[in-house]
Amino acid sequence: QTVLRSSDTHPDGYPTVEAVKRFGELLSDKTDGRYSVEVFHSAQLGQEADTIEQTQFGVIDLNRISIGAFGTQVPAATVTQLPYIFRSTEHFHNVLDGPIGDEILAAFEAVDVIALAYYDGGARSFYNSQKPINTLADMEGMKFRVMGSDVFVDMVAALGGNATPMPYGEVYSGIQTGVIDGAENNYPSFDTAGHAEVAQYYSLNEHLMVPEVLVVSKIVWDGMTPEDQAAMREAAKESVTYQRELWAAKEVESKAAVEALGVTINEVDKAPFIEAMKPVYEKYVTDPMLQDLVARIQATEG
Amino acid sequence: MKNGLLAASRVFSAISTAALWLAGVGLVAMTSLVAYQVFMRYVINSSPSWTEAASIQIMSWFIFLGAAVGVREKFHMGFDVLLYALPDSARPWLRSVSDVAMFGFGFGMVWFGGELAIRGASVRIPVLGMPQTITYLPIVVSGALICLFVLERMTLRLAGEPVDTETTERAISEV
Amino acid sequence: MEYWVLFGVFGGLMFVGTPIAFCLGIASLATIIYLGRPPVVVFQQLNSGVSAFTLMAIPFFIFAGDLMMRGGIAARIIAFAGSIIGHVRGGLGQVNIVASTLFGGISGSAVAEAAAVGGIMIPQMKARGYGADYAVNVTSMSALIALLLPPSHNMIIYSLSGGGRISIADLFTAGIIPGLLLALVLMITAYIVARRRGYPTEPFPGFARAAQFFVISIPGLMLIAIIFGGVRSGIFTATESSCIAVIYAFLVTLLVYRSMDWSNFVHCVIGAVRTTAMVLFIIGAAASFGWLMAYMRVAPMLTEMVTQLTSDPLMVLLLINVLLLLLGTFMDMGPLIIITTPIFLPMVSSFGVDPVHFGVIMILNLGIGLNTPPLGPVQFVAAAVGKISIWAAMRSVWPFYIAGIIVLGLVTYIPALSLWLPSLFR
Ligand code: NA
Ligand code: NA
Repeated sequence: QTVLRSSDTHPDGYPTVEAVKRFGELLSDKTDGRYSVEVFHSAQLGQEADTIEQTQFGVIDLNRISIGAFGTQVPAATVTQLPYIFRSTEHFHNVLDGPIGDEILAAFEAVDVIALAYYDGGARSFYNSQKPINTLADMEGMKFRVMGSDVFVDMVAALGGNATPMPYGEVYSGIQTGVIDGAENNYPSFDTAGHAEVAQYYSLNEHLMVPEVLVVSKIVWDGMTPEDQAAMREAAKESVTYQRELWAAKEVESKAAVEALGVTINEVDKAPFIEAMKPVYEKYVTDPMLQDLVARIQATEG
Repeated sequence: MKNGLLAASRVFSAISTAALWLAGVGLVAMTSLVAYQVFMRYVINSSPSWTEAASIQIMSWFIFLGAAVGVREKFHMGFDVLLYALPDSARPWLRSVSDVAMFGFGFGMVWFGGELAIRGASVRIPVLGMPQTITYLPIVVSGALICLFVLERMTLRLAGEPVDTETTERAISEV
Repeated sequence: MEYWVLFGVFGGLMFVGTPIAFCLGIASLATIIYLGRPPVVVFQQLNSGVSAFTLMAIPFFIFAGDLMMRGGIAARIIAFAGSIIGHVRGGLGQVNIVASTLFGGISGSAVAEAAAVGGIMIPQMKARGYGADYAVNVTSMSALIALLLPPSHNMIIYSLSGGGRISIADLFTAGIIPGLLLALVLMITAYIVARRRGYPTEPFPGFARAAQFFVISIPGLMLIAIIFGGVRSGIFTATESSCIAVIYAFLVTLLVYRSMDWSNFVHCVIGAVRTTAMVLFIIGAAASFGWLMAYMRVAPMLTEMVTQLTSDPLMVLLLINVLLLLLGTFMDMGPLIIITTPIFLPMVSSFGVDPVHFGVIMILNLGIGLNTPPLGPVQFVAAAVGKISIWAAMRSVWPFYIAGIIVLGLVTYIPALSLWLPSLFR
C-alpha cells in the first residue's frame, strides 16, 4: 500500500487536478490497491521549477506540470513551446497522440523522470487594457508580461511588443495601474486570476498551445514491477480522455465568465503573426534533430 | 597555542568583514538594478528582460553572506528566556547545544546545497542563460562560513575564552 | 510521530536559545530525514524562499528607513508636527503621535519610528515636565502606526506567507483607515492622561512659522505622494516603489538637506544588510518548515480540530487573536507572520474571512506584541531612549494598551474599516 504524492500548481477542482485524482483511482483499481495517489494542489509543495527538482530527487513521486517549466532541459520537448507550432486543437491532439508524442515523452527519461501522458492546456492569447489586437501594428510598443523564458521574450519582440518581466502576483495591479498593458494566457487562467476585471480586451491570436504533462519520478518507477508500470501507463492514458472533457467544459465556462465581466473578445487573422515567427524559429531550431522534429510536426494532419 | 587561536580569530574576523562589505555592495547593486529597470521601462519604453532574474541572484548572495556573518556577530534573533532563568554557569552549555545545531545545519547547506548545485550544472536559468549552479552557490558558501565561525567559537570556548559572557548588543528589529 | 519531530525539535532548540532561523531549519532537516525523503528539499526551499522579486521590498524599505532616520528627514517632520498641534493640552504627547503618523507614512518599521521620533521627542518632553513613563508609552504605542500605514514590509511578508496571491496594493490601502483610527484613539487617550496629570501646553508659534516648518519638511513628506502617486499612476509597481523610496531618501538627504556623507551612508548600508539578512534568512528557513507542514498536511488537520470546537467565524477570530497576542508576547513579528500565516489563513478563509482583512488584524495584533516583554523591541528602544526601566514603562502603559486593544477589536469585528478603501480602487 504505497501513497504517491503528486504536485499541481492549479487549485482544487481544476481539470488537471481532477484528472490526476481520476488517474489515482484508476491506478488503485488496476494494482489491487497497492498504489494510490494524493494530490497536493495550489502549489503547496512549491512552484513548477521547484517541484521538477523534487521529482528528480525523489522527494515527491508524481508531478503534473506544464512542459514549458522544463525549459531547455529536454531539447525534444522545447519544440512544443514554439509559437504556432500547433495549428489547431485537432492538430495538437494528433501530434501528441501519435508517434511524435511518444518520442517526446521518452526523451524525459534523460532528466530522471518518466513522462506518462499529455493533458490539455488550451491555447494562450494576448489580453490587455487598451484595445483589441487585430494586426501586428496593434502590438507595436505595448507592454506585455510574459513568463520568464527566452522564447516568449523573443516572440513578443518579434510581434512588435515589449516583453516586461513581472512576478505573476503583481500582474493584476500592474495592468490596473498601467505599469503594463496586458499579459497572455488561456481562458481559465485569465478568468481565475481576475485579470479579466482589469484587461477588457482578449484577442484570440492563439500563439501557444503548451501541453501539460504528468510525470513520475524515475526513483519510484524503477522500484515498481513491470506489471505495475504497465498499469500506471494505462491509468495515465485513460485519465487523458477525462481531462480533455473537463478542459473543454472549463474553457466554455471561463469564456462565459469573462464575457459576463464585459470583456470584448475578437478573432484575429493569424497569418501575419505566424509569418512574424520566422526569426524565432531560425534562432531556436538550429539543431538538425529539432529541425526534423518540427518538419514532422508540421507535416502531421489536422 | 592561545596566540595561535587569537591569530586565527583575527583572520576569521577579516573574512567576516569582507563578507559583510560584499553583501553591502550587493544591496547597492540591487538598488541600482531595480531603479534601472523602472527607468528603462517607463522612460525608454524598452524593458530589459534580465534585471529581475539578476537582482534576485544578487539578493540571494547578500542574504546568505549576511546570515553567515550573523552567526559570528550573533545578530540572529533567538528566544533567550531560559538563559535568563538559569544560573550563568548554564550559559556555555546552552550555547554549545545551539552551536552544534548551527554547525549541523551549516554542514547540510554545504552538502545538500552542493548536490543541488551539481545537478543544476545541466539546467540553464531562463533569460540569464547561466547554469542553475550559481543559484545554489550562495548556500554552499554561506554554509561553509557558518561551519567555520561556529568551530571558531567552540574552540575559543573550550580554550576558556569568554565567548558567551560578552553582552554584544543584539540587533534590535521588529522586522 | 513526524509531527513530534517537527514541532519538538523546533520547540526544544528554541527553548535553549538557538536562533529562530536555525530552529526552523534543523527541525525541517530532522523531519525530512525521519520521513526517509531526500534532505535536498530543505535547502532547495531555503533558497527559493528568499528568491522572490517581491521580497526585495523588505531590504529596500529597511534601507530607506535608515537613510531617513540618519539623514534628518524625521527631525524635520517632528518640528512641523510640533508647530501644528503643540498648543493642545499635553501638547508634546499629541506632537509625538502626529509626527509618528506622518513618519509612519514613509517608513514601515516601528522600531525605526520609536528610535527616530522617540529620540527627539522624549528628551524634549522630559525637559518640559512630562513624566518619562508617559513620554515612553506615547512613543512606543504610536510607533505601531507605522506598521499599518503604507508602506509596510510586514504586509509584504504576510502576502508572501499567504502564497503570494494576496494583493500588496490592497493590503497597503487596507491599513490606512485602521492606522489613522489608531492615531485618533491614541490622541484621545494621551489627552485624557495628560489632563489628569496636568501636563502643559505649548504656545502656538503662529501660522507663518508653522508654514515655514511645513515647507522645510516637504521634501521628506513628498515621499508619501511619490510612492502613492507612482504606484497608482503605473510608473512603478508596489515592489519597485520601495527601491524608489531608497533613491529618493538618498537624494533628499544628500542634495537637499546635505546631511548624508560617506560614513553615514556606509552605516545605513551595513545596518540594512544586517537586519535584512537576519529577517530573510528566517523567511528562507520558514519556507522549508512550511514545505514540511504542507507535506504533512498540518493546516487542514488543525482547521478540522478548530471546526469541531466552534463554527462561528467571530469566535474563531477571537481565538486566533488571543493566541496571536500570547505568541506575540514571546516572539517577534516577522517570524510569527511567516510561521502562523500558512496555518491560520486557510483556517479563517474557510470561515469566510477576507485574506486582506485578516492581514490587517494580524499586523495590528502582533504590533501590540512588540510592546510586551519579554520580547518587546519597540518598548525596549523607547525605554532605552527615555532612560527608564521596562517595568517603569509597563506600570503606566495600560491606558494605551487598552486603546490598542479597542482598535484591534474594532478592526477585527468591522471588516469595512479595512476593506472599504481598497474596494474603491477596484
Ligand atoms: Na508605514
Ligand atoms: Na513581545
